[in-house]
Amino acid sequence: MLTNNAPQQLTGIALPSLQDEDWKYTSLSPLVAALGAAWWQQRAGTPVATPSELTLDSIRINAATASCDRALPDGVTLRPWRESDHGLFDLPPAPPLPYSAKLARALADGGICLCIADGVELEQPILITHPEATGSSARLHGIHIGAGTNATLIDHFHGVATGAGVGTSLCQIRLQANAALDHYRIQQNSASHFHLGRIEIGQHRDSRYRLFAAELGSALSRLDLVTTLLEQGAECTLNGLMVLAGRQHADHHLHINHAAPHCRSRVHYRTVADDRARVVFNGAVRVAKGANGTDSAQTNANLLLSKRAQVDTKPELEIYNDDVKCAHGATVGQLDAEQLFYLQSRGIAKAEARQLLTIAFAEALLDTVAIPELRKVIEQAIMAKLPHGA
Amino acid sequence: MIKIENLHVEVDGKAILKGINLTINAGEVHAIMGPNGSGKSTLSNVIAGRNGYTVTQGSIRYFDQDLLEMKPEERAWAGIFLAFQYPVEIPGVNNTYLLKAGVNARRRQQGLEELDAMDFMQMVQEKARLVELDPAFLSRSVNVGFSGGEKKRNEIFQMAVLEPKLALLDETDSGLDIDALRIVAGGINKLRNPERAIVMITHYQRLLDYITPDFVHVLANGEILTSGDAKLAHKLEKEGYDWLLEKDTAA
Ligand SMILES: Nc1ncnc2c1ncn2[C@@H]1O[C@H](COP(=O)(O)OP(=O)(O)O)[C@@H](O)[C@H]1O
Ligand SMILES: [Mg+2]
Repeated sequence: MLTNNAPQQLTGIALPSLQDEDWKYTSLSPLVAALGAAWWQQRAGTPVATPSELTLDSIRINAATASCDRALPDGVTLRPWRESDHGLFDLPPAPPLPYSAKLARALADGGICLCIADGVELEQPILITHPEATGSSARLHGIHIGAGTNATLIDHFHGVATGAGVGTSLCQIRLQANAALDHYRIQQNSASHFHLGRIEIGQHRDSRYRLFAAELGSALSRLDLVTTLLEQGAECTLNGLMVLAGRQHADHHLHINHAAPHCRSRVHYRTVADDRARVVFNGAVRVAKGANGTDSAQTNANLLLSKRAQVDTKPELEIYNDDVKCAHGATVGQLDAEQLFYLQSRGIAKAEARQLLTIAFAEALLDTVAIPELRKVIEQAIMAKLPHGA
Repeated sequence: MIKIENLHVEVDGKAILKGINLTINAGEVHAIMGPNGSGKSTLSNVIAGRNGYTVTQGSIRYFDQDLLEMKPEERAWAGIFLAFQYPVEIPGVNNTYLLKAGVNARRRQQGLEELDAMDFMQMVQEKARLVELDPAFLSRSVNVGFSGGEKKRNEIFQMAVLEPKLALLDETDSGLDIDALRIVAGGINKLRNPERAIVMITHYQRLLDYITPDFVHVLANGEILTSGDAKLAHKLEKEGYDWLLEKDTAA
């Protein structure tokens, strides 16, 4: 019989407890219950061969095999992750490492290192597919975007249910001066999957990082994202859209470190929770002493489609400087009864009206997806998740 | 077409309608007038199926059906249309999409094929001209950024597209300047036909200068105090409601 202490005994890393502020609303016991010792012992879980359904025109890289479907364009290199890459990518925060980072490092069994040289203009987006596996798999990835380079990266986590599995992933990204990265992260794992992700980003002078995270799949999914605006003029925009149903649980913890003056950060998250789903959102912004002229804003709107759905949202501001602009706002609401009635009175059945209003709520974020095919896939995935039967 | 008998309605335990009797036939135009707070919107909302109203007594028959048993969308499919006193803004839902979904849902119910996109767009543009609605509004979110008058015009435009059998226009005239009123009234007049009944709810006589009703009813305190023809509206304009209300309290 495996207890909640077992993982600690096996690896020396304690599971976070609900007393831990960062894990207050997310318990990993369902993961322990579903996978047991397989989480820790059977490394490199059995891959389930499911091709990513994203068919858009792109350079496709399979994260499980560290291979690409074609010759890479000039200036782009790909190889499996190496232990020594830690030196290349290690970013603040300095040790002690938080749980999600420790975990990924302890379990890592593969990953990729993708480097794009300085001054590269890619015509196509790079699509990295992360097919899920039964059992446990953990990956470390490093992504280096050279100075003045412009790139679009799509991470697609996907799979079909064949058995319990847990995917742990730590992705470290470094953006050199004036680099720009549009990062789409689409989590569409199967309902029997658990996903623990972490992204660490270091942004140099005048670089721009834009995240669009779509959180759609998995029984339980957690993302910790830490971006550090290391030099002045750096800018990040973190957009997220979560649509959960059934008993799904998703938790995003964002940490933005304004370490340099005149940097800008924007966070816009929208979440939809139906049935008994639970959403956790935490947006932390830390403004360091010397970070004059910081401009930071955060909004988070949550839509509960059922009485039993739940959301816990919290901004966290830590400001050690007077010369800052920091705005934040969060709302939690239901579908508007007046709007529902208006649509019904025009002949739209209630279930369809609910779907329409939910998509309309998501629209503000879908509008930030600059790749039409990708937007369509996400929109369809959302539609499929919403109740349609009258 | 519709027969309302002894209708009593409560909101939050408070009696709002106290025994309404009203029969409306195809081709007729009725005006329901009365002071603010008398229950005019309540009556139209109950007919359209809005939540929050409790019918404690009475019945509404619509053609051969018990209307009160029907969901709002079923009433729409059966030809009931409410032009809202306060049209609702719906960010993210496109005006044309709303109408297309509404029209096609009704056609499916009637066993008809859905309209193809081209035919639909052509029809919609034609109907927009009827109320001189700028076609740019078609591709905007429902009522978002519309002025008060534009919202009212949009309601009549929707009526034109949805082609109801029974249209309830709740204070469609309020908030319109004289030009807009003329345009909206002109649109409504063009939508009059022998198969369609129209109920205009208003507390001004203004609209009735443009659209001559067949029947005028005065609703006050949840009751229809008196009914008559268009002449009643003129009398109300000259003499106000006081003579009726006095008669009511004296009785
Ligand atoms: N949803 C509601 N909640 C509480 N009171 C209401 C509601 N709707 C109507 N009423 C009350 O019912 C009465 C009639 O209102 P309404 O039907 O809007 O009148 P009218 O349209 O004639 O101005 C008013 O006293 C109003 O305050
Ligand atoms: Mg009213």
